[in-house]
Amino acid sequence: MSRVSRTVYTVIGLAVVVIWLFPVYWMVNTAFKPGGDMLTVTPQFFPRHPTLANFRTVVDDPVFWTALRNSALVAGATVVIAMVIAFLAALAIARFRFLGRRVFLFAVMAVQMVPLVAIVIPLFLTLSTLQLADTLPGLIVAYLVFSLPFAVWTLRGFISNVPPELEEAAMVDGCSRLGAIRRVVLPLVLPGLISTSIFTMILAWNEYLLTYFIISANKNYTLPLWLTHFTLSEGVQYGPLMAGSTLIAVPVIIFFMIIQKRIASGLTAGAVKG
Amino acid sequence: MTRSELQAPRGYGDLAVPAQRDSAPSPKRRRRRRFDATPYWLILPASVLLIGLMGYPLVRLVVQSFQHWGLRQIHGGYPPDWVGFDNYRQIFTDPMFWTAVERSVLLTVVMVGGSMLIGLGIALLMQRVPAWVRWLITLSLVVAWSVPSVVSTEMFAWMTDYNYGVVNWLLGMPRHNWYINNVEGFGVASAVVVWGAVPLIAISTYAALSQVPSELVEAARVDGATSGQILRRITLPLIRPIIRLLTVLSIIWDLQVFAQIWVLRQSSPTQDYFTLGIYAYTKAYYSHSYGYASAVAIVIVLLLAMVVGVYMRSLSKLGGID
Repeated sequence: MSRVSRTVYTVIGLAVVVIWLFPVYWMVNTAFKPGGDMLTVTPQFFPRHPTLANFRTVVDDPVFWTALRNSALVAGATVVIAMVIAFLAALAIARFRFLGRRVFLFAVMAVQMVPLVAIVIPLFLTLSTLQLADTLPGLIVAYLVFSLPFAVWTLRGFISNVPPELEEAAMVDGCSRLGAIRRVVLPLVLPGLISTSIFTMILAWNEYLLTYFIISANKNYTLPLWLTHFTLSEGVQYGPLMAGSTLIAVPVIIFFMIIQKRIASGLTAGAVKG
Repeated sequence: MTRSELQAPRGYGDLAVPAQRDSAPSPKRRRRRRFDATPYWLILPASVLLIGLMGYPLVRLVVQSFQHWGLRQIHGGYPPDWVGFDNYRQIFTDPMFWTAVERSVLLTVVMVGGSMLIGLGIALLMQRVPAWVRWLITLSLVVAWSVPSVVSTEMFAWMTDYNYGVVNWLLGMPRHNWYINNVEGFGVASAVVVWGAVPLIAISTYAALSQVPSELVEAARVDGATSGQILRRITLPLIRPIIRLLTVLSIIWDLQVFAQIWVLRQSSPTQDYFTLGIYAYTKAYYSHSYGYASAVAIVIVLLLAMVVGVYMRSLSKLGGID
């Protein structure tokens, strides 16, 4: 490659970096600005008088703390339950050949094809029949349905990567099949289990549309719902809004950076090993 | 997913096959043949959830689309009235519906086209830049990828603010309202969607590109192929499966775009901003016509199946289906 084209590519590459980082930078930048500095016709590209006032507005809102608690609770419960259920199902798919296996696999994939806006109305009505509409348990089961396909798919890849011979060896040595799974397979797929759970947690933490349909009471708000409500109740105040956005996004960004590589490899493992 | 991806992996099942082929019956064989309920127990919890909260609502959706289902049915416990195809007839004669269809399809083309082209472009670019630039690109994409869609929508809303938006300043258009004209408003919504969708596309396409065997590219170059020819004849055909998967997923996600427009318009979009998803939602929750909204939802599902079907067909005509 010639030096000229290399330079051109580098410049375009840096432009890509700027375009994709700028909105995030602008959010953080705004969050640290006092009101007057934010509302200038010529924008300030650095907070000249950095302040925590916007963050204080956020933490002074009691609903923020309720929403934080709810988000943590719902995300945590979704992850734990989804991992147990998905691990069992992935084990069945990866290690057994049974009548209906293909139907099950197809159903799991098809769930991802159903548009959310289409299913959300009958899902809401079904949850109301079960007395679960506008409750956190209702939200958890709804998240479960939508996070299971991905979790099953990825975990199946990780389990397929463990040679079945290892379990057979353990069974020859006197383990029961369940014992072999618990003592051999589980420890080996633990890294995959951890990254899949972080990914599921991020999905639950970021989710907006389902929550918007299912939840209406203040006390059941999750963070994304709180954020949009915050705009409406206070009138659009971009300082606190950007501070709240920063608080919601930063933990996700950190987690995502940790697992990003492993998730990619889990996906390819699932794709290549049938 | 291709057929081969759905095929059974090597596992206990495969190991059992030779045993069944043994000609002499043995006690061992009989045991193997016995019905093994374990896999069914393993998939039971997942199946219950999927059937209960996906299968049943889907059936309900179809049934409701033929009924008049409103407040009386929800709160009064009245049995729903069967209305046959009335809901569908109403939908197809509602001009608002056709506008919404047109908008949704157009938006999907713009969003899917934009995010696929830019994503592919960035993936190709990542192969051609020095390592430190590639590292920076990956970092910025991963950061953007992890931002919740509500947060990114609020970021873009703030950047396009009427008085103090940084975009107006950058473009030298003070006090420009981006939302009066819905073409511009949808432009902002598309920018949010594309900005959020490109990272997944670029990173997975780059991963696929780096698996293209370098011998193939070298051989073509030795034979005198230009880099354009190598791209068209070797690289792109090899990564077509992942491109196809990403395109189908993007169509599914973008045809039902809701949150970005909804949040940009502060949860009360005017009719200028009705897309199919918003149209169905407004019918269901504001007019309380759940039957009607269910019929709209069915139309969305069918439309989606059609769009994906046409796309897959056009690919197979091009020889894209293996």
